[in-house]
Amino acid sequence: MTTSLLAYLLIPLFTAILIPFAAKTRRKLADVLANVTLLAGLLNISFILFNPANIALSFSNITEDGFALLMIFIIYLVALCITFFSSYFIGDDSKVNRVPYYSLIMTSVSAMCGIVTTGDFFTLYIFVEVLAVTSFALIASDESGKGLEGAIKYFLLTFPASLFILFGIAFLMLTAGTFSFESIKIIIASGIPAGAVVFSLSLILLGFLIKSGVVPFHAWTPDAYEGAYAPVSAYLAGIVTKISGVYAVIKISMMLRLFEIKAYHTAEILMFLGMLSIAVGALAALRQKELKRMLAFSSISQIGYIILAAGMGTPLAILGAIFHLVNHATFKTVLFLNSASLEKGAGTSDMRKLGGMEHAMPWTSWTSIVALLATAGVPPLSGFWSKLIIIIALWDGGAKTYAVLALLFSVVTLAYFMVMQKKIFFGKPTETSRNAREVRPAMLAPVVVMCLLIAALGVFFPYIYSYLVETIAARIIL
Amino acid sequence: MTYHTLLLILVAAAAVAAVMARNLLLSAIMLALVSVGASLVLFDFQAPWAAVFELSVCAGLITVLFVSAVSLIRHEESKVAENRARFYAMPLVMGIVAIAAWFYAVPYFESLENWARLGGRADTLGTVIWDIRRLDLLGQVSMLAAGVFVVNSMFPRRKKQK
Amino acid sequence: MINSFSMDWYFITLIFFAGMYCMLVSRNLLRQFIGLEIMSKSCLLGVISVGAKTGNLALAQALIITMIVIEVVVVAAGLSLLVKNYRITNSVDVWSLNNLRG
Repeated sequence: MTTSLLAYLLIPLFTAILIPFAAKTRRKLADVLANVTLLAGLLNISFILFNPANIALSFSNITEDGFALLMIFIIYLVALCITFFSSYFIGDDSKVNRVPYYSLIMTSVSAMCGIVTTGDFFTLYIFVEVLAVTSFALIASDESGKGLEGAIKYFLLTFPASLFILFGIAFLMLTAGTFSFESIKIIIASGIPAGAVVFSLSLILLGFLIKSGVVPFHAWTPDAYEGAYAPVSAYLAGIVTKISGVYAVIKISMMLRLFEIKAYHTAEILMFLGMLSIAVGALAALRQKELKRMLAFSSISQIGYIILAAGMGTPLAILGAIFHLVNHATFKTVLFLNSASLEKGAGTSDMRKLGGMEHAMPWTSWTSIVALLATAGVPPLSGFWSKLIIIIALWDGGAKTYAVLALLFSVVTLAYFMVMQKKIFFGKPTETSRNAREVRPAMLAPVVVMCLLIAALGVFFPYIYSYLVETIAARIIL
Repeated sequence: MTYHTLLLILVAAAAVAAVMARNLLLSAIMLALVSVGASLVLFDFQAPWAAVFELSVCAGLITVLFVSAVSLIRHEESKVAENRARFYAMPLVMGIVAIAAWFYAVPYFESLENWARLGGRADTLGTVIWDIRRLDLLGQVSMLAAGVFVVNSMFPRRKKQK
Repeated sequence: MINSFSMDWYFITLIFFAGMYCMLVSRNLLRQFIGLEIMSKSCLLGVISVGAKTGNLALAQALIITMIVIEVVVVAAGLSLLVKNYRITNSVDVWSLNNLRG
């Protein structure tokens, strides 16, 4: 890990420790500090990524890992949207303590930056635990019974996963003697028989799969997303579950493809679990009545696409997985923040009671429609490109059945979302929607920015593709 | 049987007793006994620093946390009707698992030993923590900060009584 | 007699299974936490056993110290969630956590 990226980790931690002291008398100062820190970090990383000089040289002067830079960008962006939204959402709600809330978000941003910039399995484990601990407290911030129930289920079902990861690390120490990614790749490439190393990596993989919420380990996901405090479920679905689970799965699958034969079974199982998540998530989302729960199952389905592509293992598939991860972070942030706005403006998020919201809350409706179309994979938005890459990578790699099934479920998702948004946003106005009012413009700003990003990623896709190919795919080959 | 094996049998027996104990306070004390046993095992492995850490932190701090949590929920304890039959069936289940593991798990671990890769460096603990794994220290610091914020968020200082 | 490494891991498997059984069978939340703690102890013993086998005891001790710090903070967080839940819903029964069915 290069020392220059260490600053992205240290500064939010410093702010987290500073906030309780600075905001002792003036509560609103906590909001300002948190937002300013995240904005500064975001501008910094955007400067590295979007620098015209770098683009002209086709990113050959960036020596840091392109994957890590992209992840830091999306982490800071989502966290900034959440803190900005929260400063207006909390308002005068006396049940939520502002100061520990912002400190926890800052600590979790620091932990996530630690996760994506480290090159070592044990450091990864430590930061994943920090992220999990902050998530427990964030889910239960508003002290409702539902929040605590979601937090307890999250705790009880993901802590054994950490134990599996530890056992995997212990076996890795036995068979490989080291934890860093580079050394393990060198050990693999040197050609010794590597059955035991694959076993230890599979244990670690199992732990991270449980943490990311794939089927059949998805029991905690709908409850945690539904019961959490509203901006926090956007935070969880937008970035936390992905960084704490799916990121490590992608990193390990980048290593597994070097094994060629021995890891074939692991890759097969990974693809099967991904397909199962797509199927179960899509089918279960059809039966839900409550908006957040439906979005949670839709999250499970999209994470299935990422896991399926990661299991495939070819450079194009890993590219598709990473791009879909970034896209899905944007979609789900928009959708969950909008459901929080719906709660505030209309008072409920039950889909049976909402209808014809387009007149009452126009901005919320239109941004949700953009995000739903993007999730379903409609061109020219960004979701279309990432799903296309995944399906093409599956077809080229030989898993033709999986490609056809993935396409089929994408069509199912599209059909369902069309029906749903017609009913909620364009149908007959119900009692609840007559009384609803649009939320403040400041709360709509992060959602509009995310929608613009979704559209931009879709329209400027060739540039994105060249960035991904040059900084990630070309450097995967050892 | 060596001293080592006896210690491990002690730890396993204390763990089974902690599961089967009838009231929660006895369970917490048996957990402290598990920690003490694990600490003795660590001493026997020639790992004194880890053993002292485990003894002071786990057998001390975690036991205090558990006992205080038990005393906070003591009122409701009698109302939860546990199915005691499953707990009394535990020695039988453990016996079955012990016999099955003897025949299946032990040869597996013996074959796993052949893949062992011996480390060549004989560093001291200080070198390892401070030089080689310095980033883990940052992780520990952020973990402790996160713990403080979590407790601060769960139990705030309120002006009026809830 | 079988050598020390397999013997250690035999007991580690037993302790891990005892903790898992406790988690699956009990109805009281605090007892489930105790099961989680027992499973964590078996992890610590696993790491030191591997460290003794491969000879780098210093690395294993550094790992164990970090794992103990993490374990303490996680237990503190879990217990505070438990006590908060007790204060709000007045029960520590796992079967009563069913308000989010759907």
